[in-house]
Amino acid sequence: MGKTTSKKIRVGIFVVVGTIILVGALYFIGSRQHIFTKNIQLYAVFDNVSGLQLGNNVRYSGINVGTVSKIEMTEVGKITIEMTVEEKAAYFIKKNAEASISSDGLVGSMVVNIYPGSELQGANVVSGDTIQTSIKVSIDDMLSTLRATNEDLSKISNQILMGKGTLGVLINDTILAQNIQQTLVELRKTSEGTGVAMAKINQIISKINYDESAAAVILSDTATANQLRTVFANLKTSSEDINAVTKNLDDYIKEIKSSKGALNHITQDETFVREIDSTMIQIKEASEKLNQNMEALQHNFFFRGYFKKLERQERREAKEN
Amino acid sequence: MSQPTSFLDRTKSFFAEIGDMTLFAGRFFGEVFRSPFEFKELLRQCYNMGNRSLFLVVVTGFILGLVFTLQSRPTLMQFGAESWMASMISLSIVREIGPVIIALICAGRIGSGIGAELGSMKVTEQIDAMEVSGTNPFKYLVVTRILAVTLMLPLLVILGDTIALIGSAIVENLKGGVSFTLYFNQVFDALKFSDVFPATIKTFFFGFAIGLVGTYKGYNCSKGTVGVGEASNSAVVYASMLLFIIDFIAVFVTDIFFEL
Repeated sequence: MGKTTSKKIRVGIFVVVGTIILVGALYFIGSRQHIFTKNIQLYAVFDNVSGLQLGNNVRYSGINVGTVSKIEMTEVGKITIEMTVEEKAAYFIKKNAEASISSDGLVGSMVVNIYPGSELQGANVVSGDTIQTSIKVSIDDMLSTLRATNEDLSKISNQILMGKGTLGVLINDTILAQNIQQTLVELRKTSEGTGVAMAKINQIISKINYDESAAAVILSDTATANQLRTVFANLKTSSEDINAVTKNLDDYIKEIKSSKGALNHITQDETFVREIDSTMIQIKEASEKLNQNMEALQHNFFFRGYFKKLERQERREAKEN
Repeated sequence: MSQPTSFLDRTKSFFAEIGDMTLFAGRFFGEVFRSPFEFKELLRQCYNMGNRSLFLVVVTGFILGLVFTLQSRPTLMQFGAESWMASMISLSIVREIGPVIIALICAGRIGSGIGAELGSMKVTEQIDAMEVSGTNPFKYLVVTRILAVTLMLPLLVILGDTIALIGSAIVENLKGGVSFTLYFNQVFDALKFSDVFPATIKTFFFGFAIGLVGTYKGYNCSKGTVGVGEASNSAVVYASMLLFIIDFIAVFVTDIFFEL
């Protein structure tokens, strides 16, 4: 019986110790995932790891390829993480790949996402490589931006409610709304009128006699079209000539205005014009006085014979006619 | 067997009992594949342990799902995540709570029953009489019972899980207005092979543990009618403890193979 009891004790100790070792081994294996696969170590340096923990998943293009195996602060503000990545997945990760930390869903744990680099033909990573990192916009950042946006929107909506600004007036001003409604009614009428007009135009067009009318000649006769083309060409030439003449005239007028010639004096110098005016008055007065003198000469006896001779000659010519 | 007094004696007794139980389990594996096979007795035990535990499992499972959902609702509502209720409840029940609670219930119902039944047979020397009459009492009494519990417990757990999910669906329907179709669609969306398979596998081990401890305690019962009570009681206590140890190991193994 004693021998049997000692055998039982040995078996019992073996079972208990074996169970403890089994649990320990399972814990060890569980804490070091991918222990049965060949792995490589990759490193990435972040300013902020946003609550990343040991054992968090590492994903490459959304596929789990490893776990975070170490997180340590290497220098001020720089945190280096070590990632244990399956060797077969590392074949697809290039040296210019980028790692970023993001949340696995809204309330999920953090994950390290590795994105393929831009150079898909580049060299593959090897164990010990440090890959580039990129900073993702965190939920906190998004929420703070959203808060600012909300405040702005609140201000805008308050302004609108108070009837300020174009939108506010549009929404709150009943008269404007009535006006717009009226405008729309008018627009509708106008469009209806336009429709009727278009129908009439269509009718007129359909009634055109394409064989004999002027429109038909314009639309279909090629000879007339050529003539018209010539007319238009001539018109074009004429208008160009007119343009040239106008330009010359313009230049001439400018020259007159700018030069010191008589015409410029006449058009620009008021004193000169007034002098001319007074001269003309004096000439008029002088001619009147000359007329009086000539009248007096006719009655002078030195010249009377001459004027009588002229009268006689005129009478003779009248008789002959 | 005298009552151990010192710490050393108690330690020796503890290891001796574990060793004895291990040898008992080894004897079970030695006998289970050896003819003659007691199919009739196995079926009778399956009926006894499975069918007669149905009501207990159904009631327990229903209340489990009902209460679990009622208690979880306020917390999920704080997060505005009531729509996650189905997936959360189904994962919790199928992965962990269902198997463990149903196994504990069965440890109480079946384990104590086996311990008391075999203990009284031992005390009244029926087991000795079987040996004298040429029947292998270990094969007839122990192997059939352990096999029956091992086979029946997974079925009881699956039934219990289903009833618990129905209980949960009723609460969701009454409190949240979620239709049964939507609830079970969400449940089946949430559940994966890696949730159901390991949970079902570990219930075989749970059943084996309950059967092993119950039969061991009953088969090695002594000291008359007092011993029968002790056997029944310790069968439940040891079986319950063993269930948690197995569950603990099962979680680690599942984590390695299925990455929880």
